[in-house]
Parts: sequence; structure tokens; C-alpha cells
Amino acid sequence: MAGVAGGNDFQWCFSQVKGAIDEDVAEADIISTVEFNYSGELLATGDKGGRVVIFQHEQESKNRPHLRGEYNVYSTFQSHEPEFDYLKSLEIEEKINKIRWLPQQNAAHFLLSTNDKTIKLWKISERDKRAEGYNLKDEDGRLRDPFRITSLRVCLAVPQTCLILSMTLCDNFSKIDCCTFQVPVLMPMDLMVEASPRRIFANAHTYHINSISVNSDHETYLSADDLRINLWHLEITDRSFNIVDIKPANMEELTEVITAAECHPHQCNVFVYSSSKGTIRLCDMRAAALCDRHSKFFEEPEDPSSRSFFSEIISSISDVKFSHSGRYMMTRDYLSVKVWDLNMENRPVETYQVHEYLRSKLCSLYENDCIFDKFECCWNGSDSAIMTGSYNNFFRMFDRNTRRDITLEASRESSKPRATLKPRKVSTGGKRKKDEISVDSLDFNKKILHTAWHPKDNVIAVAATNNLYIFQDKIN
Amino acid sequence: MLGRGVKRKWSCLEELEAEVVAEATITEEKEQSGKDGQEDEAGLLIDPSKSVMSHLQQRQRVLGLCLEKLQRYQAGMELSLRRSVLLINTLRQIQEEIRSDGVGTCTSDSRLSISAVHADDSCLLRDDFREDVPVTCPGCAEGDGESLSLSPPLSPEFPSQEAIDFPDQQKSLPAAAISTFSDAVNAMGYLSDLALDDIFEDIDTSMYETSDLPSAWATGSLWPVSVSLWPDEDVKLRSSSHSSTGSLQSCLVDLNDLDHIMEILVKS
Repeated sequence: MAGVAGGNDFQWCFSQVKGAIDEDVAEADIISTVEFNYSGELLATGDKGGRVVIFQHEQESKNRPHLRGEYNVYSTFQSHEPEFDYLKSLEIEEKINKIRWLPQQNAAHFLLSTNDKTIKLWKISERDKRAEGYNLKDEDGRLRDPFRITSLRVCLAVPQTCLILSMTLCDNFSKIDCCTFQVPVLMPMDLMVEASPRRIFANAHTYHINSISVNSDHETYLSADDLRINLWHLEITDRSFNIVDIKPANMEELTEVITAAECHPHQCNVFVYSSSKGTIRLCDMRAAALCDRHSKFFEEPEDPSSRSFFSEIISSISDVKFSHSGRYMMTRDYLSVKVWDLNMENRPVETYQVHEYLRSKLCSLYENDCIFDKFECCWNGSDSAIMTGSYNNFFRMFDRNTRRDITLEASRESSKPRATLKPRKVSTGGKRKKDEISVDSLDFNKKILHTAWHPKDNVIAVAATNNLYIFQDKIN
Repeated sequence: MLGRGVKRKWSCLEELEAEVVAEATITEEKEQSGKDGQEDEAGLLIDPSKSVMSHLQQRQRVLGLCLEKLQRYQAGMELSLRRSVLLINTLRQIQEEIRSDGVGTCTSDSRLSISAVHADDSCLLRDDFREDVPVTCPGCAEGDGESLSLSPPLSPEFPSQEAIDFPDQQKSLPAAAISTFSDAVNAMGYLSDLALDDIFEDIDTSMYETSDLPSAWATGSLWPVSVSLWPDEDVKLRSSSHSSTGSLQSCLVDLNDLDHIMEILVKS
């Protein structure tokens, strides 16, 4: 795949935006997770109100083949409800922290969605046919006497009727009823998409769940909270294996928490988890039942010249993602994205600065709590490019081959159909060029924390507060 | 810009903080531009005392923000464990720096850093604060400090109940301080899986609403706690006889430090 910047490479243009346009954003509508399924046909979003909305990619129309199809709402359901923990007098938020799709095995789609405490397996299935002709009613619509239904009688008078001989005996068999028994027929109906919870994995996490990840064996998955990681079987809800536990005996000695975890895409025994101190541990489940001892430990030595009060906070890793190949992994801390080779633990192979101009503003960002924002990151399908979000509704893409990067904005202003997105730039020096935006003008309330890249095509989904933007490349 | 080495009176604090807020960007950029403010990259010498001052300003601002954010937890706003841990680590880092900077010295800057934390910690200016505070505070004597983590609004009242039982007010002060801090540390989830909470469920703490507490317990008491946070070998030795639930070792205040701080505050 070619690069992400302009020129001969792809040009990103606006495709769609979902969500209300109101200035007043309801807290419940804030999107909290975005995820494409394995084929890219479905795109799921979760919000703070505990709802999941799934969009489906419509096939391209034959009239306009140059347009990729659009994503339209496929299913909406309430995944989680707010709960109350009576023991601790705490509300358990219904906010969906993560959605992960299962690989499709039959006509139905399955996904895992989780809030702080409970993971649910949802089945999304289509129904476009309805059975009609149940023998429950007479021809004139009256409900039949059940007695007459269950005792089948051979009706010889009406040979066209489909006859089913029943072995049920009936006392009143002496009466010969012209009870015609018909086999129900399937009739087409309007497509109905149903979502039903198939499994509920509850009561396994004392702390807040931050990650779930489906294993490559498609039978197990892991869930991680601040201090523990559990391994589940998708069929078994009443127990899970605890595979990582970093809770100290004395809680006052706690200095580090788990921030994200992911299973290796191909090796079902390998997973990684990141910490608030900027370290990543790779564990092998074959080594021991409890993977407290890591197999590999990834940490970049700190640059002593840039040490400040905020060094630890900005080193806290907010997301970790394996590449599709499984050879690399990517971590996101507050100011940068780092690509690590799994075979090299002492430093990343690539580091990309997302918004280095914020380094001098760390104290203010600490004051308004923005320094604690958790940005996610994602790979494209071929692992040649990576994407992550920033403030002011900006998001950044980095081409690993050409080393070029681009900053784009998800805004209503640049939302004309198929309009090419103009690259944005933040001015860091004294002189501000035209079309540049100064650091002090950035809107820190408009943050892009969640982005997703289609597994095969150059289509991206960007969540900007309560709106979901879909951009695609311009096919010439 | 602030002058160098000038003693700050109490009333100047708010001006100081306002100035610090306004000049945060400038001081931060100065911080970043030089190693300990001695030189910037262009080779120009920055006045060492000015840069030290700006470093101190930032440190004290960050310290204040840290405690303020942790205190928000007491007000009922739940902090995530990740955030609590990051805040507490930052707090520890600053405290270590303060300690290594000014052990035994009573400079105006250290006074600033101490007094900048709480404006109304008048209760700390008690003359009767004595050095011979018993080693075991009521919270530890109970053998279960974690029981204080019942819920944010209730927790400060638990040690206050202890204060009623023990007439010695000085003992209850560190206990209250430690307990409120421990709750920030515990952040509602740390020790939730301990069954020992059940023992204290039936304690009626409805009388001891936060608003009734002296301001020191709600706000000012955190300072002595932050002093005691360091892993102090003496403290650990003394507390080794306590129950194994890891109860408040840190509530055994480093008495010499507290006494020293008291002297500073009383003198100012």
C-alpha cells in the first residue's frame, strides 16, 4: 500500500459523519470505543451510555462504482446498564470501555463488550424470514382448541392437504374432524437484526477493566484491570484463570498499574501488558500458570535531560497494539507513539512524536487533567502506517516507510462529501504562518482518543466526542 | 517576576500562586531549556537563583495541585486507580526533592513550599504538639487500617471516632491525616477485597459528617501525611509488631520532621 500523505499517495477525503450536530453534547453520547470487525464489513462503536451501535458497509451501487459503499446503522442495543455496588457505595459506570469482535464462524456475528466490571458476549443475527401458517388459528382467525391441534387426525376427505400421521391417541377419536394440518411456510419479511447477550462474564474483576483481547485460538480471551489479568473461555462464565497479579501485599507499596493488554495475533500462548511506568511485559502462558514473571521486558531508558515532575505521568502507556504480522507492537504514551520489535527489549525501533509542542505545557495540562487522557493507536492493514489522535479534533498518521506524517482534522467544516482533507499544522515557533494554528488556540476539550483502521482497505473511523467520522482514500 | 530569596508573608501566598499560574509557561520553558537552569542551550547563563526559584515555584505548584486532586477524592469524586497512583508517585517525587533540598534548613523557600499547601491549616499551629506522641496510633492499634476505606465521605470520620476514644488529640491528628490519605491511596478499590471491612460495617459514623470536622482534618491534615510517606526504616521497625494486614505503617509519622515543621510554622 502506498503512503498516507498527499501527492502520489492516498488522499484522505470525507465520507460520512454519524451523530448529532448539537453544540450541547449529552455525556451518554460520547463515544468511548470504535472497532472494525475482521472483514471490515461491520464497524462497532460503544458510548458512555452503555449503548453499542453497529454500522454495516453497504455494497457499492452499480451506478456509481467509484464511490465506496457507505456505512449505515445495522444494529443498536443497550449493552450495559449502570449498576450500584452496595458494598463500596459506588456506582459502576455503564460506559463501554472496549469492544472486540470474534472471528465470524457462521451467519451470526459475535462481539465482546465490556464496562468497568462485566464483559458480555453479544450475538448479532439477522432475521429476514418469518414462519407463517402455524396451525394455531382457524381459517377465520379463531384460536383453535389445543386439543384439536395436538391430536392429529388423518383427513381423508381433503387429499390436497399435507398429511402427517400422528401416533397420539385420543379418546374422542371417534369423531372424524376435518382438521387440516399444514406445515408452516417461511415468508420473507423486513430485515430484522437482533442482538442478544449469550454470555455474561461477571464478578471477576475487583478493579476497573481497561482491556479485553480475543486470543488467536478463538476459544479464549483475556481481560485486564488495573492490577490483574484473567483468561476466560468463551463458553464458561463461572470461572476464569488469573494469569497476572501485580497487587502488592501492602497496598501502600503500589506504584504501578496495568494500563493495557493484548494477545499476540498468531501465538495463542503469548500476550503483552503495559504499565503506568512506561514498561511493557511480554508473557508466555506455557511458562507458568501465573505469568507474574515476564518473558520479555520492554523499556526505553529515560533521557535524563528531559526529566521533570511529569516524566512518569507522560510515560504511562495508554494503549498497546500488536502489528497484524505479529512481529512488532506499538505503544502510545502521552506525547509519542513507539514501535517495538519483539526481539529487541531495550529500546523501540521507531518513535513518532504526536504533539511534542505540548511538552512545554505539561504543567497546565496537569492542572486541567488533560495529561491523564488515554489516547489509542492503530495499525493499517499492511502495518505500513499507524494512526493516533490528538487535541483540537486533530489526528495524526505516520507512514513507516517514507517517514512522512500528516495531521488531519475531524470537523464539520471539512465535511463536504468526498472533500479532500487539508493537512493541518500547529505552529510552535513565534511566527505563525497562515493556516497554522497556535498551541494556545488548541481546544483541549476536543480530543480524539479512539480511532480505527479498516483491516483491508484505506477506510478509517475517527471518534470525535459524540461524532463518528469516516474517511476514505480517493480512488482515482 | 519574583525577587530572589525574599521572604514571603502568608498574605502574599495568593499573589504568588496567581503569578505562578500566569507565568507557568515561561517557567516551564525555562525549565526545559536548561539543565537545572544553569545554562540554556544557547550557552547564556541564566541566573542560578532565579532558575532555582522557578523550579521551586513549579514544584510547589505541582505539589499543591497534587494534593488538591487527591483531596477531590475525599469530596466524593472517584479517582481511578491509575490516576491515584500517578498522583501519589508525583507527590513522593516532590517530597523526596524537598527533603533532599532542605533537611534541617529553614529557608524562606521551604517555608513557602510548606505553607503553600494549605491556607487554613491553623490547627497545625498548636503549641501543644509534642514529640512524645505514642508510636501506635489508634488506627494501627485497631489492627486494620484498611477498614477506613469504607467510603470517601465516611472515612475521615472513622479516625475521628478514635479521637473521641483517646483523649490525646495529637494521636488522632496523624490518624485522621493518615486515614484520609490512605483512602486517597486506597481509591475505593485497593482493599475492597478484604473481608475485614465487614467487621466495621456496623459502626455508626453518621454523626461525623465532613462538614462538622475541624478544617484540619478535612484539608490541613494531609500535610503531615505526606511527610510520612517515605519508606522510613525506623517507622517500619517500630510498626513490625502490628498486624500483618499491612496497616498504616506510614501513619507512624516521622516525628522529628513534624516537630521541625511545627517549629517553622509557629515561628512564621
